[in-house]
Amino acid sequence: MGIDIIFKIAGIGLVTAIVGQILKQTGKDEIATFATIAGIIIVVFMVLNLISDLFETLQGLFQF
Amino acid sequence: MDVIFKILAIAFLTVIATVIVKPVRSDFALVIALTGGILVLMLVLGYVGQVFSVISDIVSLSGVSSSLYTLLLKIVGVGYLVEFTAGICSDTGNSSLGDKVLLGGKVIILVMALPIVTNILQIIMELLPT
Repeated sequence: MGIDIIFKIAGIGLVTAIVGQILKQTGKDEIATFATIAGIIIVVFMVLNLISDLFETLQGLFQF
Repeated sequence: MDVIFKILAIAFLTVIATVIVKPVRSDFALVIALTGGILVLMLVLGYVGQVFSVISDIVSLSGVSSSLYTLLLKIVGVGYLVEFTAGICSDTGNSSLGDKVLLGGKVIILVMALPIVTNILQIIMELLPT
């Protein structure tokens, strides 16, 4: 775990934006929406893991 | 202390990634900023733990009951978490929600600190001549 997760998220964002644009240009609007939603869900899961890590560390540290 | 360079590098790269992604997808830029903040915090928390262990050693030497110290630690933790969450809220444009989170944290800290206040009052009552 480290700085690479930031680049992963940025890459996923750029790729989903490009894919969404291409799908929109070719007239497949609903598939473009699904691609966008899939990208958001992937990123949210990655960040949720990080947040749960952080909160567990804090709980151990502050002896809740 | 090379961890400070790590923190600076993470902050720099987070800012750069945010600036690149923001015009394409502004919602992902927010997530990237959040991730950078979490990474910096995770790096720092180990050192905070070292500081706390030293402080707990000093407290055990001074003879103050350790329950008071644990309570203080919990209050610091609540303040820290509340500040972090309120920062995320106001970063993502929900600054009113962040204010409410801050208010909730203040109330919770007050509730947690009330036993200490009653302790002090009891000590004062014992000191007073009857």
